[in-house]
Amino acid sequence: MSPTRPVSNGTNGQGNSVVLGPRDRLVGELYIEGDLQVSGTVDGTLEATGNIEIAGAGKVSGTVTAYNRLVVGSDASLIGGEVRVARLTVEDGATFTGKVSMGKHAVESPKPIEPEPTSPRLEVVPVVEPAIEPTPSVKPVQPIKSVQPIKSAKPSPQPVPQKGKRR
Amino acid sequence: MDVQEAVAEGTASAENGEVKRDGRKQFAMGPGDILEGKLIYDGSIHADGKVEGEVRVSGNIDVASGASVRALLEGSNVTLKGQVEGAVTARDKLTLAKNARLSGDIVVRRLQIDDGATLNGHVRMGDFESHTSGQ
Repeated sequence: MSPTRPVSNGTNGQGNSVVLGPRDRLVGELYIEGDLQVSGTVDGTLEATGNIEIAGAGKVSGTVTAYNRLVVGSDASLIGGEVRVARLTVEDGATFTGKVSMGKHAVESPKPIEPEPTSPRLEVVPVVEPAIEPTPSVKPVQPIKSVQPIKSAKPSPQPVPQKGKRR
Repeated sequence: MDVQEAVAEGTASAENGEVKRDGRKQFAMGPGDILEGKLIYDGSIHADGKVEGEVRVSGNIDVASGASVRALLEGSNVTLKGQVEGAVTARDKLTLAKNARLSGDIVVRRLQIDDGATLNGHVRMGDFESHTSGQ
């Protein structure tokens, strides 16, 4: 593949081209090997290996990653997300907010990062909760409202001495 | 190269203040000039050379292509062609020209980024309290 490929208004030879028209709507995630043009409404995450263009009155709220170029047209809006692109064009009149990371380093990975099925952190959570004893309220023997005396009969749970900074 | 320590509040710097045709003042810097400190200026500034600190103007800010700016910038229309590190507030419009490089958070009313420009930072778009111009 030549380094300077001709950029036409369709596919640029890198893959397919997906167009979401003005009446189309997407909620969720979309990964495209190629280019993407959005004139409709997107609420979610967009990622394309080529260019992304938010055209017409397109509205995108969410994270946008384009390995090449992102264009936000003059009537389009991109709100609130994280934007990681190699090149960026925002036309005058566009609505554009969010965190922008640009340059090669921002979109270095040529392949999509596979979502980790389980975060290892979840297993190593050092919970310092006091051991919850089976509460006597489990047995619904007596429909008496005041379960209080049973609770007060128990030794009150000692607050675990944490080294937290809160006071 | 002489270092210009400028703390000019509302008054024109004698040697750099020029009255433009429309009656507004312009603080014009050259490529060899250095501005360090805080400048509050009633007029526009053409920043070139090296700028460090804080620049707040009532008019426009124009950063030349060879300029290196590490400063907080605030103006009505802000046009960047050079390299800027720092927060930028444009009460009207911020333009990043094709060779501009901006690292910093920006607050703007309108935004234009030309292809080739580099931006790293948060962008917030909103209306400012000055509703004087009823357009």
